[in-house]
Amino acid sequence: MTASLFSRFGTRRALLAGCLLMPLVIAGCSGNYPVKPNEFWNSLFRPSPAIINGLGLTIGISVAAQFLGVVLGVLAAMGKMAKLRILRVLAGIYVWIFRGTPLLVQLTFFYYGFATAGIFKWPGLTIGPVNILPEIVAGIIIMGVNEGAYMSEIVRAGIMAVDPGQTEAAKSLGMTYGQTMRRIVLPQAARVIVPPLGNEFNNMLKTTSLLVVVSVFELYNTFSTAAGRTYATFELMAACAIWYLLLTTIWGFFQAWIERRLARGTTGSTDQTDYSLRARLIGLRNNSGNQGH
Amino acid sequence: MTSPSGVRTDLLGAIGGVPRPETDVVVDARDVNKFFGRLHVLKDVSIQVKRQETVVVIGPSGSGKTTFIRCVNHLEKIQSGRIFVNGHLIGYRETAARGGLPIVGGLPIVNRLPIVGRRKGKDPGATKLVEDKEKNVASQRQEIGMVFQRFNLFPHMTAIENIIEAPIHVRGTSKDEAMVMGRALLERVGLAAKENVYPNQLSGGQQQRIAIARALAMKPALMLFDEPTSALDPEMIGEVLEVMKELAREGMTMMVVSHEMGFAREVANRVVMMDEGVVVEEGTPDQVFSAPSQERTKTFLSKIL
Repeated sequence: MTASLFSRFGTRRALLAGCLLMPLVIAGCSGNYPVKPNEFWNSLFRPSPAIINGLGLTIGISVAAQFLGVVLGVLAAMGKMAKLRILRVLAGIYVWIFRGTPLLVQLTFFYYGFATAGIFKWPGLTIGPVNILPEIVAGIIIMGVNEGAYMSEIVRAGIMAVDPGQTEAAKSLGMTYGQTMRRIVLPQAARVIVPPLGNEFNNMLKTTSLLVVVSVFELYNTFSTAAGRTYATFELMAACAIWYLLLTTIWGFFQAWIERRLARGTTGSTDQTDYSLRARLIGLRNNSGNQGH
Repeated sequence: MTSPSGVRTDLLGAIGGVPRPETDVVVDARDVNKFFGRLHVLKDVSIQVKRQETVVVIGPSGSGKTTFIRCVNHLEKIQSGRIFVNGHLIGYRETAARGGLPIVGGLPIVNRLPIVGRRKGKDPGATKLVEDKEKNVASQRQEIGMVFQRFNLFPHMTAIENIIEAPIHVRGTSKDEAMVMGRALLERVGLAAKENVYPNQLSGGQQQRIAIARALAMKPALMLFDEPTSALDPEMIGEVLEVMKELAREGMTMMVVSHEMGFAREVANRVVMMDEGVVVEEGTPDQVFSAPSQERTKTFLSKIL
């Protein structure tokens, strides 16, 4: 029977389906546990408003924090390469602290720690009709600042990968440091920065789950709460994992598209490089000889 | 008139005629000294380039000729001496030698080596060079075009975008005006058809011709060429030299570091021979090539001619 399944759907598709169904298969085999398949299927195909809300928060917070991270990363990278010693030192301290301590500690310290000590209480934010809760504001900013420390190294590597002749050519045309950076160096550095930046955002989507400690109801917290209520931890966490997998997979498509756009004007840009989802996910390249039967 | 490679006459017509330098002596370098760490690469180098003159600097590798030309638009710092272009001191400001730290851009800048003015008739130590603000250096460079050995075209921009980039964003020319000038320049270096092509799809010779057009688009009073044909395949050298010859003929003020002795003989008003950081001899091409007065020039020429 397995053989016929494989030949009918193709090996990879059959394996993929197998992986997705694995939790239920295991549950079915573990005699005493009363499986609640509805909790699993409903949270996937008929998600409650809470889950939709959690999804939205996860995406929104990730995008905002990553954006902040990129901005801070560029600033910190330029700081690290600045002529002025004080800028180099400041950028160094920033990266040192935020890369050297756990995000979980940063979140609790700056949110609860600051509030308890009476130093600073995070305010909510109102943008037009939208009210953003204080814990979400704190989450975005703390995660963004943390991300900036990692981005700074990525941006710095990207800038250093640009041929110094480019800077000299720009200078010789009378461009200032700022113009040279904005118009010549950073657009070229972007090609080097974007692939690891994609990885960072993939990470960010998943790391937002840590915001459970400041009680933001993002995806993980929503599922975790539901699990506490229904005791269907096994089914709900499996479904939660699939939601995250879906997010990171869709992001994979975007990343491939952006990388193709940025390849303009580089060697090999005329090649039909295979950036298919399958190639990115499981590291297999499309070649016709390998396509099932 | 068009040559086989498509290079046309009236190159400078594309930028509204020959740029007029403000002074008779366009480049005036006096007693320039430069160190890389402990290595003394330029030793009291003095070179002048007059208006509409083409000066070719020759010499063995490591003689400091490339370093010198890079000092002229302050891509390299100097430790002593003065370089004036168009009457302006390049890259530095003179300040009183002793009497506290000079203030530049709000913060004190301390040079690693003491810089002492050595101009004749001046008390040594009376003034001191302090590196100028980055913004001022940038505006000085607008008047100095530079062509590099490795072209250094911007790979993320098409040929025309490379040319109009600085006129638009540095000079503030309108895009329409810049496009007209850019197309005229491309046409005159024989590459009108390559307007929307990215540099990596062009040959070395084509890239270098676009690099020359890019520098010309700023209407510079002076053009610097740093071994412009050294990275080219032999069959492409001709088309680049052709553009340079045309520029010289039309009266562009040029300083060229080159190993192309044929070009020097044909185009140069003066040839400067450098070796080990020193100007060994200078004179008309005839003098230097046919009757060199220095032993080092003879040895060098016998090796390459």
